[in-house]
Amino acid sequence: MSGSKCARLQGDLLQQLLDSVDSILFDCDGVIWRGDQVIPGAPQVINLLKQHGKKVFFLTNNSTKTRRMYADKMSTLGFDVTEQEVFGTAYGCAVFLQTACRLQGQKVFLMGSQAMRQELEAVGIQQTGVGPDHVSGGPGDWANVPLDPEVKAVVVGFDQDFSYMKLNRALQYLIQKDCLFVGTNRDTRLPLEGGRAVPGTGCLLQAVETAAQRQAQTVGKPSPFMFDCLASQFGVERERCLMVGDRLDTDILLGSNCGLKTLLTLTGVSTLQDVAGHEESGCAERRRMVPDFYVESIADLLPALQG
Amino acid sequence: MAGAFSFKGCQKIRGPQIRNLLEAKDFFLFDCDGVIWHGENAITGAAKVVNALVRHGKNVVFVTNNSTRPRENYVHKFSRLGFADVMLEQIFSSSYCSALYLRDVVKICGQVFVIGCEGLRRELQEAGIPCLEETDDPDATIYDCALAADVKAVLVGHDDKLTFLKLAKASCYLKDPDCLFLATDNDPWHPLSSGRILPGCGSLMAALEVASGRKATVIGKPSRFMFECISSQFKGLDPSQCLMVGDRLETDMLFGFNCGLDTMLTLTGVSQMEDAQEYRNSDLSTNHSLVPDYVVDTIADFLPAFEELEEESN
Repeated sequence: MSGSKCARLQGDLLQQLLDSVDSILFDCDGVIWRGDQVIPGAPQVINLLKQHGKKVFFLTNNSTKTRRMYADKMSTLGFDVTEQEVFGTAYGCAVFLQTACRLQGQKVFLMGSQAMRQELEAVGIQQTGVGPDHVSGGPGDWANVPLDPEVKAVVVGFDQDFSYMKLNRALQYLIQKDCLFVGTNRDTRLPLEGGRAVPGTGCLLQAVETAAQRQAQTVGKPSPFMFDCLASQFGVERERCLMVGDRLDTDILLGSNCGLKTLLTLTGVSTLQDVAGHEESGCAERRRMVPDFYVESIADLLPALQG
Repeated sequence: MAGAFSFKGCQKIRGPQIRNLLEAKDFFLFDCDGVIWHGENAITGAAKVVNALVRHGKNVVFVTNNSTRPRENYVHKFSRLGFADVMLEQIFSSSYCSALYLRDVVKICGQVFVIGCEGLRRELQEAGIPCLEETDDPDATIYDCALAADVKAVLVGHDDKLTFLKLAKASCYLKDPDCLFLATDNDPWHPLSSGRILPGCGSLMAALEVASGRKATVIGKPSRFMFECISSQFKGLDPSQCLMVGDRLETDMLFGFNCGLDTMLTLTGVSQMEDAQEYRNSDLSTNHSLVPDYVVDTIADFLPAFEELEEESN
């Protein structure tokens, strides 16, 4: 099959692919749902895959929910899922800080959601900073904002309470060279129904990185960290694993980088035109964003599962 | 003339060299923070230098990326700190120039969504630019906030009241390719007199560039636009007659280079000699544009040259 990239997945090809994999990883936003609306057919696909003996996991860059919250949302929408099967960046970030950064029992400055706070506390990491942070006083006060001496890292995820004051606090911590700097992901927008553009974590992270003139390490796709967590927890074989996503620069790139088969679904961000652009570019990195297969929607998998 | 400038090239100059420079140039552009003052304290000797330049018939203007205050505030500040008769017309701030850009270059018909301070809004209002009213609707969320119909530009400046909602609204407006995207400046951070730093407009601009997938048009240094504002006001201005004096390589020196001006770094502010030398030794030729022509420890180093000039004329 050399050279036949981004083939439409149907018929015999679909059956062959399903037979060749034991584990299937799904992105969430734009793949199984959009906001609170399920992609038609998605619950059936997931549930049938499991009935056919496949392992099914969810790998999302969204940091606004804990694994528990994702499992609850999925149950409500008709997906048969346990929380251990879900890897969101709130959880991923907590694991990263615990294992790679060895911050268990320590404290971080968090620009992020309550979900992130919960996942951090679940691994024994305390936080300061979550919630609204309104400006008061003047520039002299802001530069002298009191810093908690126990803070060992600045952690950035999606934060609806993002403000100049929070950005300032993060900057003051990061001026200390030994303060670590971790972000959940770089997605530029958070998808919702209706197509309204809501700035994603990538924007907030860029603001902090620019002010501090430092780069964060990120945990989410396309970084392999969460896949590596998942693979080691569940003994997943890369060659027999399929990544299904809607974004070429996160889902498909992750899949390529980890040696997985990749499937693009067109119910989200990326288009076939985007694929063509990467395919025709001379750039090796861009060509890694070309998926092996595509479908209009994951419901296109149903014919092979319902027979 | 070439002989007088044989000392050009990122080195400290003093005495006779400064004197030659002062005689050769008739238009002096000064940055403010870190050059003329630190916060509320004038750099020792700065007022004397500026007063002496004016007394010797030189033109002096002040070019600042600081968008937080209206120009009137600067007039009062100069007066408070002992600078004789600095007038509104000598002050070019990025907020004032943003207003000029919208009024005279873009000739905007429609409203501007402003992410910025009161100082920026005032400059826009004084230039007759309609700014979207800030509605503090406490129930508005990012999922359902109201958007105005005729927003033709988004202008981002320093904003200590920045919220996620403002970023979200701005990125909605920027979906329209006919809506302009402007920034007062791209400074990532700026220093306070205490030596601490605060996030600058550049960090807010970066967030919005990522959100919108678009690049902002930057009004302030190092973009040429503020020099174009100065040239429109001072007809017949010749770049070769100018000296740009600043403390920040990435803004002031690059600005000078971009406008074809000689540049002088003063070491009373952000950038140090080592920083200048690093750019000079860089393999990347674009970094050479940030290297100053001349360096002084402080602009007070001009004073001995004036004393000599004055002695001679006595």
